[in-house]
Amino acid sequence: MAGPAAGPAGPPVVAVSGVSKRYGATVALRDVTLEIRAGEVFGLVGANGAGKSTLIKVLSGVTRPTTGELRLRGRRLDLAGPLDARNAGIETVHQNIDDGVVFGVSVAENLTLDALARRGPGRFVTRARTRAAARAIAAAAGLDVPLDAPVETLPASLRQRIVLARALARRPELLILDEPTSTLSAAETETLLAAVRRMAADGIAVLYVSHRMSEIRELCDRVAVLRDGVIRETFTAPVDPARVVAAMLGDDLAARAAAVPGGGAATGPVRFAAEGVRTRPGAEPFGLTVRAGEILGVTGLVGAGKTELLEQLYGVRPLVSGRLLLDGEPYRPRDPRHAISAGVALVAEERAAQAMVPTWSVRAHVTLPHLAAHSRLGLLRRRSEARAAARVIGLFGVRGPGPDAPIEALSGGNQQKVVVGRWLEGEVRLLLLDEPFRGVDVGARADIGRVLRERAGRTAVIVASSDPQEVLDLADRVLVLHDGALAGELRAAEATAERLAALMAGRREPVEAR
Amino acid sequence: MTAIGKGTAPAAERVPARPLGERAARLGYRYGLVAVLAVMTVAFAALRPAFGTWANALIVLQSVAIVAVVALGVTVSMATGGFDLSVGANVSFVVMVTALTMVRFNLTGGTAILTGLLAGLLVAGANVLLTVVCRVPDLVATLGTMFLFQGLALIITSGESVSAGMTVDGEPAPGRYTEGFLWLGSGTIASVPVPVVVMLLFGAAVYVFLGHTRWGRALYAIGGNARAARLAGIRVERYRALAYLISGLCAAVGGILLSARLGRGDVGAGDPYLLQAVAAALIGFAVLGANRPNALGTLVGALFIGIMINGLTMLNAPYYTQTFVQGALLVGSLIMSYTLTPGRRERHLT
Repeated sequence: MAGPAAGPAGPPVVAVSGVSKRYGATVALRDVTLEIRAGEVFGLVGANGAGKSTLIKVLSGVTRPTTGELRLRGRRLDLAGPLDARNAGIETVHQNIDDGVVFGVSVAENLTLDALARRGPGRFVTRARTRAAARAIAAAAGLDVPLDAPVETLPASLRQRIVLARALARRPELLILDEPTSTLSAAETETLLAAVRRMAADGIAVLYVSHRMSEIRELCDRVAVLRDGVIRETFTAPVDPARVVAAMLGDDLAARAAAVPGGGAATGPVRFAAEGVRTRPGAEPFGLTVRAGEILGVTGLVGAGKTELLEQLYGVRPLVSGRLLLDGEPYRPRDPRHAISAGVALVAEERAAQAMVPTWSVRAHVTLPHLAAHSRLGLLRRRSEARAAARVIGLFGVRGPGPDAPIEALSGGNQQKVVVGRWLEGEVRLLLLDEPFRGVDVGARADIGRVLRERAGRTAVIVASSDPQEVLDLADRVLVLHDGALAGELRAAEATAERLAALMAGRREPVEAR
Repeated sequence: MTAIGKGTAPAAERVPARPLGERAARLGYRYGLVAVLAVMTVAFAALRPAFGTWANALIVLQSVAIVAVVALGVTVSMATGGFDLSVGANVSFVVMVTALTMVRFNLTGGTAILTGLLAGLLVAGANVLLTVVCRVPDLVATLGTMFLFQGLALIITSGESVSAGMTVDGEPAPGRYTEGFLWLGSGTIASVPVPVVVMLLFGAAVYVFLGHTRWGRALYAIGGNARAARLAGIRVERYRALAYLISGLCAAVGGILLSARLGRGDVGAGDPYLLQAVAAALIGFAVLGANRPNALGTLVGALFIGIMINGLTMLNAPYYTQTFVQGALLVGSLIMSYTLTPGRRERHLT
């Protein structure tokens, strides 16, 4: 939206023109054009998979764009690698703080790490020289740390400041900060934001990538929204978080929301109830219920607390507060085994890291949660396993080389069918799904969704996703989490794009009477 | 809607025909070790006719039996992604404990077996405490217990060997190795030496346990992806403890057999068994394309080493070459496991 250019009117430092990036058949970035000015904090937001990481990789020299060009102060940049980017004056502070820190050496040595990488006339590195150089670097960044301490004794926020100080010592033109506050406390975040404002005041151009709308609103002079690899909109301060989130979610949302086969209020008995639960210590408590025949959706931005909630319901994390009732009986899972015996199952967020065992067959995955059921006197019964695998394959329409093939031979969607389907082999009273459609093609989503809806009468289902479209496709009611607390609850038929975006951005609504 | 089998798989997922080189590698990987074993046996028999006799076969089996029993325990600990380095020290400790029980305290062979097993469980308990409770990484934890119990074995005997008639506090020791106990080392059942019988029994037991029971499946799940195992409801800590208990028990049985064979408590008798047992277990990865710790592979691995050494001895190769040869065998099979595996993925041993 055009308006008087707020913030510094410095000259453009970095210009990205028509940058596209293809990985084989996948287009990660399409025709991205933007420019960042000196002294400006430029925000970049987008949902997972929108292309933020790819854009950062292009700017920091890790990848070359397929088409398009980068210019720094008018000069065309051709980056062969990260070192070229750094030499050109682009510094990046990565999301994983410890990627920039060397453990086992002192703070001073970490601050002066770049001196080691520099070629040049040989020179003995003495403690005294290192300390002097480190002191200068720290002072320039306004950082007060014990120079001789081993770096691992420092808290994460101070380690991050060290990485930042190193970057600043090279006097960059552009500083890229990738999700810098994801591991920081509120107080540490404030300190970081103040540091960013100081850097901008000094004339550095800052690209600030984050999921946190509050920071974007406080800090950024302009914000660009990436969706599906394209810059959808650029906002200028003062920024309305709800509009930013709406841009992140997209126009299809409105159309999809309208098309939902009006999930009428379910009248079945309450199968699962949670009272006074919190996603994390200190967050506001809330409650939820799931009735027979209904699917409950949970959505919210990344970091809103969906996974923390589901993990508590499954016994992976201790319950922070409150109580849980399963079919009217108290339910307090000590660990996943306990949860499974009570009839609760979790399809975890990351299939590869949390569900799949490399080289194992489809059949072995299907029976893993229920080994006792498939054995007699401890001995596994292959026929019983084979029958279970055949049931899951038939129910979900799993396509692949067969139940004895390694699961890696299946496509992502089919793998997910196995990972979800294996739970339905047992007596499941509550099925929890965390981002179940990540890396899953449209066809597989439809198959999984169909089965879940068919089972909703027997099994209470809670589906969590940071993509509200996915949730709306399946759920009858949707809970929206924001920053760890419940922002609102909507019936799927009433969930318009605007209301969802507002709730996800943090604007509260009164909780509807049930 | 069912779609199983290549015929109905969508074209994109149909498995492509393998190039010739890859097929050769695949065959080499799967049958290579067994083929080398066969060739080696034939070669030795041709060079030294005495090698190919039944009597010699029994000698070979006898010599590998104890290594095999210990190696089976190591195999179980490896299935979970762990690594029990303390097995050699365990064997030494058990040898000393059994020797003391009979020679110093004049107790029965049965009591010696009991104390030997308890000693092995003690070592296992220490491993469990360190790895599961204190969360020390397996490799370094068992290294630590290895030193602890190697040392303890020396302390309880004041650093000296234990044998019948030795002097204790100025007088000859009251006891001796009982016949019953000695039978374990030198007796036979249906003309098969007892240690070989034990090896076959343990081999069968571990084979069934690891490959065909739900506990074995759970152990392999932990070794493959401990997070996924936990989220599937497997109580990881309990199974890891079980693995170390089994490993300790196998080492204890190995120690009892060794003690019976030696008829005395020799200082450090069990220490060489660590390398041989670990080598056998690792060689076992490469047998018949298992690509994971497995009982059959371990037995073949132990046999492999045993035949090699026996054959070399018959060819009058000096004793000091044996360690090198074992190392070469181990390195060769590791290369087979880690390089030739068709389409392999990252594997982590610990």
